[in-house]
Amino acid sequence: MTGQSALIEVRGLVKVFKTPAGSVTVLKGINLDFNAGEFVGIVGKSGSGKSTLVNMITGIDHPTEGSVRAGDVNLHSMREGELAVWRGRNMGVIFQFFQLLPMLTVLENVLLPMDLAKLLPFEKREERAMTLLEQVGAAEVANKLPGALSGGQQQIAAIARALANDPPILVADEPTGNLDTATADVIFSIFQELARQGKTILFVTHDMTLANRADRKVILSDGELVNEHLAAAFPTLTHPQLLQLTHLADRRRISPGENLAGDHSMAAGLLIALEGEIELLTSSPTGKEKKIRLTPGQYIFHEAPPGETTFQLVVSPEVAESAEALIIQAGALESWLKANPSARLALQEKAANLVDFQPAAHRRRGSRRLV
Amino acid sequence: MIRPRWYKVLADLWGNRVRSSLVIASIAVGLFAIGIILTLHTILQRDMRSGYAAIHPANMEMSVLSLRTTTLEKVRGVAGVQNAEAARVFNLRAKARSGEWVTITLNAFPDIKNKKINRPKLEEGNWPPHKRQIAIDRYKLDELGCNVGDWLELELPDGSIRTMQVSGVIQDQSIGASGSGGGFFMAPAQGYISADSLGWLGQPEAYNQLYVAVADHAEDEEHIRLVADRVRKTIEKNGGVVLSQSVRASDNHPNSSYTLAISNVLIVLGALVVVLSGFLITNTFQALLVQQVGQIGIMKTIGGRSQQIIAIYLSLIFIFGVLAFALALPLANWASRGLLKFLAGQINMELQEFRPVPAAAFLMLGLALIVPQAAGFLPILNGVRISVQEATSGIRQTGKTSRPSRLEQRLLHLRRAPRPLLVSLRNTFRSKGRLALTLITLSLGGAIFIATFNVRTSIDDYVTRVGKYFLADINLTLERPYHVREIQKSLEALPEVKMVEGWASARAEILRSDNLVADSTTILAPPADSPLVQPILLEGRWVSAGDHNAIAISERFSDILPGIGPGDTLRLRINGQETRWTVVGRFQLVGKSGGYVAYTSFENLNRTVGYANRTNTFRVVASQPGLTLQGQKELGRKIESYLKSQGYNVKEAAAGLTLNENTTTGLDVLTTFLLIMALLTALVGSIGLMGTMSLNVMERTREIGVLRAIGASDGKVIQIVIVEGLLIGIISWALAFLLSFPISKLMSDAVFMALFDASWRSSFTPIGSVIWLAAALLLSAVASILPARNAARLTIREVLAYE
Repeated sequence: MTGQSALIEVRGLVKVFKTPAGSVTVLKGINLDFNAGEFVGIVGKSGSGKSTLVNMITGIDHPTEGSVRAGDVNLHSMREGELAVWRGRNMGVIFQFFQLLPMLTVLENVLLPMDLAKLLPFEKREERAMTLLEQVGAAEVANKLPGALSGGQQQIAAIARALANDPPILVADEPTGNLDTATADVIFSIFQELARQGKTILFVTHDMTLANRADRKVILSDGELVNEHLAAAFPTLTHPQLLQLTHLADRRRISPGENLAGDHSMAAGLLIALEGEIELLTSSPTGKEKKIRLTPGQYIFHEAPPGETTFQLVVSPEVAESAEALIIQAGALESWLKANPSARLALQEKAANLVDFQPAAHRRRGSRRLV
Repeated sequence: MIRPRWYKVLADLWGNRVRSSLVIASIAVGLFAIGIILTLHTILQRDMRSGYAAIHPANMEMSVLSLRTTTLEKVRGVAGVQNAEAARVFNLRAKARSGEWVTITLNAFPDIKNKKINRPKLEEGNWPPHKRQIAIDRYKLDELGCNVGDWLELELPDGSIRTMQVSGVIQDQSIGASGSGGGFFMAPAQGYISADSLGWLGQPEAYNQLYVAVADHAEDEEHIRLVADRVRKTIEKNGGVVLSQSVRASDNHPNSSYTLAISNVLIVLGALVVVLSGFLITNTFQALLVQQVGQIGIMKTIGGRSQQIIAIYLSLIFIFGVLAFALALPLANWASRGLLKFLAGQINMELQEFRPVPAAAFLMLGLALIVPQAAGFLPILNGVRISVQEATSGIRQTGKTSRPSRLEQRLLHLRRAPRPLLVSLRNTFRSKGRLALTLITLSLGGAIFIATFNVRTSIDDYVTRVGKYFLADINLTLERPYHVREIQKSLEALPEVKMVEGWASARAEILRSDNLVADSTTILAPPADSPLVQPILLEGRWVSAGDHNAIAISERFSDILPGIGPGDTLRLRINGQETRWTVVGRFQLVGKSGGYVAYTSFENLNRTVGYANRTNTFRVVASQPGLTLQGQKELGRKIESYLKSQGYNVKEAAAGLTLNENTTTGLDVLTTFLLIMALLTALVGSIGLMGTMSLNVMERTREIGVLRAIGASDGKVIQIVIVEGLLIGIISWALAFLLSFPISKLMSDAVFMALFDASWRSSFTPIGSVIWLAAALLLSAVASILPARNAARLTIREVLAYE
């Protein structure tokens, strides 16, 4: 959290589907912010709830509980029709199966949202549509019907349609799910370029390679968000493992002079620096002291041998008051490692290397305001 | 445990109940219409024959002068005669509850209790009527306005009044059986009394009407004529004079021409509705199966063989057919029963207890099972043939490799139109096969609807035209003949009277070349070149001044004297004397529903019969043109009271429009029937239209979701869908309008040929077209809005996942 107002705020989002076999909770209280100008990949395994989350953000489906705010608007307080109009002006939606209207040419498909929103004068719409098609590289198929185009061409046209009313937000659900790798690459290049121009882009994918091209990844596992700092620190852990660690982790401020070792079970077994530079003073049983400096994203993983009581881990008195860290206490971590022994290596490797990780979550870019 | 594939069939049926209901309704409504049509057609024909035969109808009816009881006994002994009964039939005037005096025919029978021929059916009260009691036939009961137990005032020829108690209401199916009468609809109110009331009513206890039933071959009119000839000879040998004679087979109800006309209409309508239902069902299944393509793909992916998939869908269609049949059969029977009851009341037939018609049920079942399977098979086959990728991805390659049609090219070049309108326009023409099916269904339904109105108008037009035989304002009948000039002079003194004509009339027997009496006719004799008759000539000309024994005959003469026409000689026996006439023309009146009518000039009949310029029938034209029925009645009352004040006894002063009204009542039955059929067709068309439009919109549900995803408001979505619906509605209306012309001609010919053996010019009225336009627009819009609203209520996620 940056403390700065987000473009999209997701709060306490719960979605329960009622099926003949009983109720299935697909989203379990999601809290999430998206800032203007972010290029975010929403990833997760099949059934993790990523498409459902995106459907809540676009208003394509309604949450059972919770809210989605975009700017000053609470999306789900609007009626379907009002929401459709709002979406037409503020949010471009791109589907896996393109969903171009088959009876309209590509150009007319791009013109249609303009006709519906009426933001531009009628006579200027075609010029803008052609500009958009040129921008995405689909000008030469402007007058063709979708049925005459390849899947990739249709998706490119669908992106142009999503941009028709120059919405600040683009949301794409598996936009490359039905395309070959080369075409998917073209689509992502377009997204990256649009992100560079300041669009806020959220896309759903199950392809981690594509997700890694985003500025930020939001990982969903079993309807819950995986802590992004954990996910960044331990990319080799599985999503369920990361989710378990997310449940164990505690984000909190640390105070200068605070002893983070203390009683063994309450000691910090894993600490990831989140805000501000954190300097820790450790002293071994031999009395040897060492200073460790962690920048955001860096972490320490400490496994004290049983009975060890002399280990010290004190926060340097010079650490800023606002410093924050994600801490998993040693006792909980120990139990978790017993259940997931293969994960120890992943934790140790990263700790040993002290990989410098700079989360991109709060990078700023220029953006349009919501209308 | 039920196999999953059959569970799918049931789930498809139950899962989308609105869609299933639409499919079932679309099939059922066609079956319903066919069921009604075939049931009516069968029962009308069958019950009219059997119901008429059940009254033991007279096979011959003779008007006889001086019919003695001894003669009657001798007639009973004539070879071939099973039974004979005598009656005295005469006209009086009865005071209706409205205060108006109306003509009533009284039928007095000597042994009314044991009446064997033309048995009446008691509907209310008691039978037989005792002395000074009267039973009334139900048909004109409303005109008299009396009920059982009421007292009915009768005016005798001398002006005195007698009051008789109404003892019962009966149904007499033999009314209109005589060829010389005007037929059932022209007949006045009928009363039935016992012979012992005759003296009290100032009538002699002598009989003038003979009813004879033949012993065998009662359905063979030629045989009946031979027996009738023997009966006539017996009467003449015993001093009687036969004034008129009619023969009628026991299964030939006097109004059978109406059932024939109705049946002809039903046959035409039935054929059209079968075609209509076929298209409706085909269209419905096309729409239904397009929605199933995805699932077909999935089944193929998991190893479903084409035969298995086809079996699943044919089973689904089978269940739809069975359910539609189960719905349509009782409804058709129920509606048929109501319609039959209405028609039976109108055309004086006796319905037997309602029994469902097996042929109708079998045809309905056959259509319910075969047509949907045939209609669904091709779409199923097409669905099975598409690739799994196409079926499951939701991306249908529309196969636009062929050149777009000219219309599509034009639509593609239509660039300046708003895109929502383009969506509607191009959607309409996207699937040309489906559009063609939809349009054929809707156009045919609409065309039949419009055509029924046109046929009604043709009949109305004919009714108006027939009115030109009855141009006088008042038809005046006096108790005895007077010199024409005397009455003319007297009446023309009234300022309200413009012109008076003396008309002669006579009853005559029509003789065939073998000297047998074919039937009897009424001869009407206005003055030559009378402006009060404007005939519809089928061939030849009208009787002119100076013609010697010239006669014009109605179309019905062709039934008994085939080929008779201008130049032929017609032999008529009038008052027992044979006369010879030269036919100068053949005219069209009210066809088989009326009796035999011939026109000659007053001068001719006067000379032949020896009336010495005297008559008791006069036609009066009012000074004020265009009198209404009420105006005519008022003038009639004025004339009657004036003549009475002058010492003349008036038998009747009837309004001219009443005569026209009575003449054409039978045709009104047909127009009412056609209106009902129009409503039935409209029902088929409307449900077809609504079903088709709704299924079309359901098919577009995914597109509606996409539209909403890219910013279309509820209003815009509904507008797009309605415009598409209205476009189809308007196109179908235009086609229906064009198609209605040949169908009108076909139906009109069916009606007119049945009634007149001649066609009549087809009339066209904008009413049917306008109503259908309004209905088509309204129904298209409503049928589109409902599913569009439902689609708009779904979240886009649900819409995009919609199957």
